[in-house]
Order: sequence, then structure tokens, then C-alpha cells
Amino acid sequence: MNKLKPLFTISLLAFLSSCALFQKDYVQFDETLNCPEQSTANLLAAQNQLGRLSNSDTLACALTALRKTEDVTLRRSAFASRLCLHLAERETDQNKRERLADEGVGFAETALKLGGTADGEVHYYLAANLGLEVREHITLAINNLARLENELKQAVALSPDIDDGGPLRVLGMLYLKAPAWPNGIGDRDKALDFLARAVNNHPKHPLNHLFYAQALWDDEGNEATVNRVKAEFAIGEKLLVEGNWGYSKEVWKKEFDEFSKEFGQSESLDK
Amino acid sequence: MRKTYLIKTYLIISGLLASFAANAAPNPEMILVCYPGGAVNAKDANAAMSSMLRVVERVGQWQENSFTSFFTSKADECKKQMADKHPKFAITSLGLYLELRSRHNLLPVVQPKIKGQTSERYRVMVQKDKYQNLDQLKGKALGGTVLEEQSFISKIVFAGKYDLAGFALKPSNQAIRALRSLDKGELDAVILNEQQFNGLASLQMSTPLVPIFTSEEIPLMGVVANSTTTTAEDRLRFGQALEGMCADNEGKKLCDLFGVEAFTTVDAAMFAPMVKLWTNGK
Repeated sequence: MNKLKPLFTISLLAFLSSCALFQKDYVQFDETLNCPEQSTANLLAAQNQLGRLSNSDTLACALTALRKTEDVTLRRSAFASRLCLHLAERETDQNKRERLADEGVGFAETALKLGGTADGEVHYYLAANLGLEVREHITLAINNLARLENELKQAVALSPDIDDGGPLRVLGMLYLKAPAWPNGIGDRDKALDFLARAVNNHPKHPLNHLFYAQALWDDEGNEATVNRVKAEFAIGEKLLVEGNWGYSKEVWKKEFDEFSKEFGQSESLDK
Repeated sequence: MRKTYLIKTYLIISGLLASFAANAAPNPEMILVCYPGGAVNAKDANAAMSSMLRVVERVGQWQENSFTSFFTSKADECKKQMADKHPKFAITSLGLYLELRSRHNLLPVVQPKIKGQTSERYRVMVQKDKYQNLDQLKGKALGGTVLEEQSFISKIVFAGKYDLAGFALKPSNQAIRALRSLDKGELDAVILNEQQFNGLASLQMSTPLVPIFTSEEIPLMGVVANSTTTTAEDRLRFGQALEGMCADNEGKKLCDLFGVEAFTTVDAAMFAPMVKLWTNGK
């Protein structure tokens, strides 16, 4: 039993240190927003309306209200965590972005504690926010890989189709980007499997095609693979340009541009 | 795959190379990182190395961005960079070091220590009871990440006793995929480095795997220096900085993260037999 003590202590310290991030160190929004008072009923009704197409002020007002709510239905849902993710993705200041994502993690953890464990969205937005929070910090990112995998696996099991296959897409990318065996959970076969499922089941989402193209590109390929990469990239780019992706469009375009640059450079190196 | 194995070590070491930057270099010194056949793309690797370089710069109180890295998983690109840029320090595989050492006056400076060891063994794994020795594998499908450097395998791992031309080689940049293929019978054998071998216990295979060949001890490779563009003092300072890395609070986290206990100054005697095997090998 004594052998378990250090482990327990370390776990507790890790837990407490992560909790410390979730104190009321919220990103403060512009006071001139003049957010209307929002009742619980209003917020409940807004759940399915607010998303990537909503402007940031509207999301900020809803989040401000959600910070104060004691309504269990709202707190048990992924709503606040999802709003945090949308706002974080748009935020260009790294510190604010990470604090918003951190808040999103906290909301999702609360939802789980209140019984939201069977809600795949809660697990999904917890992982998405956590990934965004740690992505610029290599040691934090690697320390959280197992947790990210666990949350995303639950999201895939419970709700694989939310956010146009978001759990499949993000879990696939996690397997693609994580350190590979024997050092980590990274696994190209799994990445390709999940991303192919995302593309096949949700072919209208541009990131599904971009990420699948990236996985194919990272894999051991031949000329046919390169052609497939180009084809998936082209489909994704077309969907991005022609679709109404709201405030996500600009963020995603940067991802397409970065991969295009990498892909182009590598191709010219090969020639 | 000294390849997969050493990527983490490479990344840590590349961060440590910042120590050579002394005080605030106006032009970042390029650290060449060669990871032949590795499963990491250059963008991700450079991003990871950049994080580590920044940590080391901060810990060592060197000006931020004193160093930059150039990562490649292609041996030919590594050779080109070595010839064009003449980096003072580089992180290479043992095979590349042995191939390039004379042309670029390379000297090993520091080695990682993992599980108390600064050397490793390579093993050829097969399904239990299917083959008993390497001779029975003639003409059979041999996979693995380390096959990207075939001269290294022939001359050093097999010590010139087995000709790789006798096998149907199936190089891969993913050890786990090669092992799955072995498990399914698509490959007859897979060659693993020490770290991969130690990781086998974490995999669920339908058939037990056993080694039919185990190499002699082969030194782990770390940082090499160009002996004509660095001074003995540079290399000493460098080695000392690296040795202090895992004792530093922040540095220890990185060392722990990648399973490296410490970095140790190279014992040149460890490499002499490798050089001999390489020079005399076929």
C-alpha cells in the first residue's frame, strides 16, 4: 500500500495544480458589450442556435451569463464548454486563448461531475478545449495525451457524429500527431482509420478532408497516395471556400494554407 | 529504428545545444538534426525542437532564439546540409556518423543514458517456433524501421556476418505497423532496437514473438561536433552543459518525459570498435 502513496500524492498534486487553473481567472469581455440579461429559459433555448456562425459578442454575452448560472441542466451540458471553444479558436492572443480553453475544460469537468458522463458532447468539448489549451506547451501536451485519448474515445463511443464527425476527426489527429509507439500513443494506422471514417461519414466538413490528407501525406506513400492527398485537399478546400463556416473559416483557411505550404515544399524537395 | 527510438533523445539534445550559443548570438546557429526514416514530419519535429530550445535558452540564461534547428528524416538531405552548411554540432544516427565522420571531421560529444545504459542491442523477432535462426530467414520478408540504414545494419548490427541482400527487405517508418504485419504473418521477421524491444510488452499480439538474433552492444548516438570548426573548449563546455541538463529542475522534466536519465560525455573507446566494423565491413 505504501508503494501507492507516492503515486497518489503525485496524482493529487497534478489534479490540484490543474484545478488551480480553473479559478475565476476568466477572460473578461468588453464592458461596452451591454449584454442583455439572459434567463435560464433564454439560455436553454439558445443552446442549439449559438455556434460557429454566431458573432463573438453574442457568444461572449452567453458565456458571461453561463458563468453565473446555477441551473443544473445547463451546467450538466456541453453548452458553456462549446462556447469557450468557439471563442478560444477565434482568439489571437495566446494567453486569452488558453484561459478560454481552460475555462471550457472546467465547464466540461463540472458537467461530468453533475452526471453528464453519458453525453458525448461533454467529453468531446472537454478534449477539444484541453487540446487547444496545451498545444503550445510540449510537456503539458504530452502529459495530457492519455486523458485526451480517453475523453475522445468516450466521445466517439457515445456521439461520433457531433460536429460533423468531430470526435473521429480529433481522435484521428491525436493519433497522427502524438509520439508514436513505443514512446507514446501515436499510431498512423489508427489515425488513418478514424480520419477515413470521418471523411466517409461526414464528407461535407472541410477539416475531415484536410486531416485525412495530412494523415495520408505523413504515411508511407507512393504516387497514388500523393494523388489521393491532392484530391482530398482539393475537396476540403472547395468545401471551405463554398461553405458558410462562419468565424471558423478564417482559422481553418490558415490550416489549409500551412499544409499546402508544407506539402508544396516537400514535393519540390522530392523533385 | 534507432530512428523512432532516438527522436526524443534527439529533440532533447538539440535543445541542449543551445548551450553552445554562449551569450546572445545575433545569428542563430543551425543545429542539424538527422533522423533517417523517422515517422515524424519536419514541421512537427522543428516545432518540438523549438520548444525545447526555448526552454534550454531560458534555463541557461542564453538569449532567446540563439539557436535554430533543421530537421530532416532523409539521409540524403542530411548529407547535403552537412556539406552545404557545415554545422558545428549535429544530432545524427550512428550510421550517419560513421558514414560522414571522416568527410566532416565529426567527433561524438555526448551520449544519452537510458535505463543506466549508454548502449543497446538490436534483435530480429519472429513468431515463436516459426524460425530458429537467421539462416532460415534467407529470402524471407524482413521488416523494421532500422532498415532505412542498410549499411549500418549489415556492418554494425550484423557485424558483417549476414548479408542483407539475402532477405526480402520491407523497410517501414512505423515499428508498430511492422509488428502488426509480423503478427498477421505478412512479414516473417522484424528487426527492433532496444527501446522497441522493451515496448513489446505493451502490445497485444495474437502470437508470441521471440528473438532469433541479438546483436552485440552498440553505443547510443547523441551529439557530434565538427572538430575543425569547434574548439576543444567548445566541446567541453557543451558536454558539461548537457551533463547538467537532467539535474536542472526544468530540464529534468524533459529528461523524464523522454526516459533519458542523463547525458554523459562520450567515451571514445566505445566508438572505436564501431569505426573498425564500419571500415572493414561489407
